[in-house]
Amino acid sequence: MLEFKNVSKEFGPVKALSNINFKVDKGEIVGLVGENGAGKSTLMKIIFGAYQADSGTIFIDGRQTRFTSPRDAMSQGIGMVFQEQSLIGNLSVMENLFLGREQEFRRFGLIDFKKMAEASRAQLAKVGLDIDPTIETSKLSFSQRQLIELAKVLTLEERISGDLVILLDEPTSVLSEDEVGLLFEIVNKLKTRAAFIFVSHRLDEVISLSDRIYVLKDGEVVDEVKGNKAKASNIQASMVGREINTEYYRQDQRLPFDKEAAPLLSVQNASVAKKFEDISFDLHAGQVLCLVGTEGAGREAIVRTLFGMHSLDRGAITFFDKPSLKITSPHAAVSNHIGYMPRERKIEGIFASMNIAENMTSSQLGAYSRYGLLKKADELKLAASWIDKLSIKTPSASTDCIRLSGGNQQKVVLAKWRSTGSRIIMLDHPTRGLDIGAKEDVYTMIREMSAAGIGLIVIPDTFEEAIGLGHNITVVKDGRAVKNFNCMQEQVTPFDLVSAMT
Amino acid sequence: MRDILKSNYHWVTLFTLVILVGLVDMNFWNIESLLILMGDIVPLFIMALGLTFAIYIGGIDLSAQSMANMITVIASLYLATLGLWIVPVCFLVGVILGGISGLITTRFLVPSFISTLAIGGVCYSLAQWLSGNRALYMNSESRDALFGWMLSSTGIVPNTIFVGAFVFVIALLIERRSSLGRQLKAVGSAELAASASGLLVPRVKVLAFALSGGLAALAGVIFSIKLSGGAPSIANGFLLPAIVAVLVGGTPLTGGVGGVVNTLVGTMIVAVIRSSMLYLEVAATHQQMVFGIVLIIAIVFTIDRSKLSIVK
Amino acid sequence: MPIIVLIALVVFFTSLNPNFMSLRNFARIAIAASPFLMVAIGVTFIIIMGSIDLSMEGGVALSAVIFCFAFLFFGGTLASGGWVAIIAALGFGAAYGALNGFIHAKLLIPSFMSSLAMGFVGIGATVLLTGGGIVRIDDDVFRMLLTYRFQGFPLMVYVAVFFLIVGILIQKKTILGRNLYAIGGAEDLARASGVPVLKTRILAFSLAGFYYALAGVLQVAKLGQAESVTGANLMFLSITAAVVGGVALWGAIGGVVNALIGVLIVTVINNGMVVIGLPDYIQDGVLGLLVIAAVILSTNRSAVKFVK
Repeated sequence: MLEFKNVSKEFGPVKALSNINFKVDKGEIVGLVGENGAGKSTLMKIIFGAYQADSGTIFIDGRQTRFTSPRDAMSQGIGMVFQEQSLIGNLSVMENLFLGREQEFRRFGLIDFKKMAEASRAQLAKVGLDIDPTIETSKLSFSQRQLIELAKVLTLEERISGDLVILLDEPTSVLSEDEVGLLFEIVNKLKTRAAFIFVSHRLDEVISLSDRIYVLKDGEVVDEVKGNKAKASNIQASMVGREINTEYYRQDQRLPFDKEAAPLLSVQNASVAKKFEDISFDLHAGQVLCLVGTEGAGREAIVRTLFGMHSLDRGAITFFDKPSLKITSPHAAVSNHIGYMPRERKIEGIFASMNIAENMTSSQLGAYSRYGLLKKADELKLAASWIDKLSIKTPSASTDCIRLSGGNQQKVVLAKWRSTGSRIIMLDHPTRGLDIGAKEDVYTMIREMSAAGIGLIVIPDTFEEAIGLGHNITVVKDGRAVKNFNCMQEQVTPFDLVSAMT
Repeated sequence: MRDILKSNYHWVTLFTLVILVGLVDMNFWNIESLLILMGDIVPLFIMALGLTFAIYIGGIDLSAQSMANMITVIASLYLATLGLWIVPVCFLVGVILGGISGLITTRFLVPSFISTLAIGGVCYSLAQWLSGNRALYMNSESRDALFGWMLSSTGIVPNTIFVGAFVFVIALLIERRSSLGRQLKAVGSAELAASASGLLVPRVKVLAFALSGGLAALAGVIFSIKLSGGAPSIANGFLLPAIVAVLVGGTPLTGGVGGVVNTLVGTMIVAVIRSSMLYLEVAATHQQMVFGIVLIIAIVFTIDRSKLSIVK
Repeated sequence: MPIIVLIALVVFFTSLNPNFMSLRNFARIAIAASPFLMVAIGVTFIIIMGSIDLSMEGGVALSAVIFCFAFLFFGGTLASGGWVAIIAALGFGAAYGALNGFIHAKLLIPSFMSSLAMGFVGIGATVLLTGGGIVRIDDDVFRMLLTYRFQGFPLMVYVAVFFLIVGILIQKKTILGRNLYAIGGAEDLARASGVPVLKTRILAFSLAGFYYALAGVLQVAKLGQAESVTGANLMFLSITAAVVGGVALWGAIGGVVNALIGVLIVTVINNGMVVIGLPDYIQDGVLGLLVIAAVILSTNRSAVKFVK
């Protein structure tokens, strides 16, 4: 009933989706899997109308159509159950169910809440929920809210003439096993009412629920399997694609480090409630540790905890072999030579309206001022030397960073931490949004920092980066370290990583 | 070219206005009267300088006017006893009260327009209490002895202009040359990045509000010296043009760009608009309306909408 | 919690001066509270959706002056057609509010700034209309709002109560009212669900403007005159009242009833200070501290990322 033919989408030079062929039949549950960046979320956004395809055609029941906005897609029968729940906590359940459509219950200018409650009960019955629709939504459990979200989408049934296709985006990520079972039961029951597209990084769940599974890689559908014939290992193999040799990863450029010396950083059984649990590792001078995992697995929280942005609930973190040293704020982290390059470069990394020199000294103003006055000449000297060292492309050291390319901005942030004398540097998606050449520059800088004896924790963009850069790779899944790879002793493949993650 | 025009549009506005008004009435281009005009606006300029720091970090200080009001009362009451010390004492009072606004904002996450409004209420109350709710007159002997020079001129230049220039240079030094100024810029242009660079963001913000309070107090001192007295609502009517001066000058509500030079230009624009209303025979009673409208236009043009995901 | 504060205040002032607890004093409190309550209700609608309105001083003064001029234009008495002036003033208030909302929501200016500017424009326009003077109204019939008493309370108190009930109805039972809570709760989600955010914002400001105009008319009934300072100090007082009464500045929490309690708390403090013989100028200071305390107590700090 819903069919995509040769759908493509580009963002500038990047091909996010190319020639996607995809269809959902009536009463079918279709699984959609793929690695981070494979194009899953772009495809979903096109399906529910948040993005428009650049080329290709979309059919509903054989009739060609297009979705100009989420509302438009909705009116044509596409419903979306968001991963980030879209219910408003301070409203009652019934108000959420009919948000934006209250005029159906208007009488003499006032809302007839009795009628709305009645209609709500009918909707809630569809998903097997027996709760008072006048209750405030924030008082319910997460899984209950998820079912309400599903019920909200199902209100489309009465509004549109055609059939429904419902997208479920990572619906199980925060549910307990029992709750997942309940959800699947309900989805299976609802198959008579609607078709489903099920997106999840938990392969076993996708296999058990779906009738058919599409595997995406690099913006293309690389495999299509029947649910009953699907095998996790086969799907994982197609998610990863080609086997690649050592040379591709440039593993030969990785330098050894001294494992016998006291570690720069030692993490023991660290836990932060609701973010991660029981994380342990050591980081030595010159070592590169890569954290691999899905979005929201807890990698960012681990790094931010080390930088003093979250406080530890349990466990211990020892910096520089000094148990008395506690990092409780970014300020403390920076003064103890710990640097952090956040993922959101434009919001957290770079000061766009400040120039290169100002950016570089922002973490070390104490050293570049006397009696509260800045030593501007020294700042410019510092900036000039790093512009030279990292070959930053800029007209001058006093150029505002907003005028630099993404890659050069990233170099400025790295120069900031290196010039501050950081001994531990954490990099969250350092190559995100950069072109190939700029990525290579970042890899080179990471290797140089490793050679200079800096301990590095990297959250890489791709598996290839993790394998190419890391001395060690830790796979984080649902806030726990599920597997550690020592890349100096074994040849790790993307397949190994995917198997541990999913 | 377009970029140059865009980043210097406050200068363009100023010169266009001066030329336009001058064309209508040639008397406007009289250096002497222009200087007097500038001298008169010095208290407003100093208040606007203070506000610049609050707006520069993306906040606002609505207590500036009440602060100046209260300081006119304090200055009138204690000039005779404190002598020249009145200036640092008043400045300190402003710094402390402004700092309290900042502390309330950063420590308890109260939006600055509320915390400063509340501190403004406190100032107003204190002013009424201290003055017994009536107009006060300064001890004229002390005033003439200590500050009489401020009311006369050097050649054709009113001496208040030198006072304004002195404060301006200090503010410029803070903005351009000091570590604090750099931190203010960092917090204003990307608060999260500032925090991730290890800057103590709350402390920087408190200092910005303290500076704003201190300069508003200084404006109050100079104003009361000019009027030789004080009253709890004598400086009412300062807040609007001061905010207009900052925003028209090109320091947007979203923070991070602009600065004290912009405010200098903005204040001159305000002065020109004000006096042009006299020349063009627009009644003084229209001023507030005109400035309100100018304020809206200025915000529309300066605000950086990419920094606002949802406009509340 | 705010209601306990209110009761405690009443008990406190009564213990210092038993006359506090008398019908005459209660009527005095009610008269003082009536126009003020209208303003507080108006701004409450705005605060519910997480915005702020600082234009009330201009809105109240301008509506009051327009009302007076229209009233005089239509013969200067209610009987001669002065009632048209009431409609004109309320209609004007709604339009003024709508313009305020339009500038904020359509031109994407933070509401505290757009409304502050609009407030200045309002006061400026009032000065312009009155030439800085005072407009008086001398109609015994219209002034019956203040002079005619039923059960000890003047008519204007009943008018205020009527519009209090209307306000509660709008908040609880209309689409506009409910959408305010949706926007205050999560504007992006509300928009995604098809709530017409722009329209709702403009309507809310228009509604607030309507209530400011009501306050203006009641002020004229109370004082018999209008001028540019008719709305003086109402900005600070009404926001204080709403926040102290339990309307959260972050939006979506509290409502018209909380505004009522807050108005009563503020008025009782004002009145109580007079009754026990304290100078009235301490009030602004006390209220300033009170509003900070109330905001601090009502803020869920873990939910706020950073604040400007």
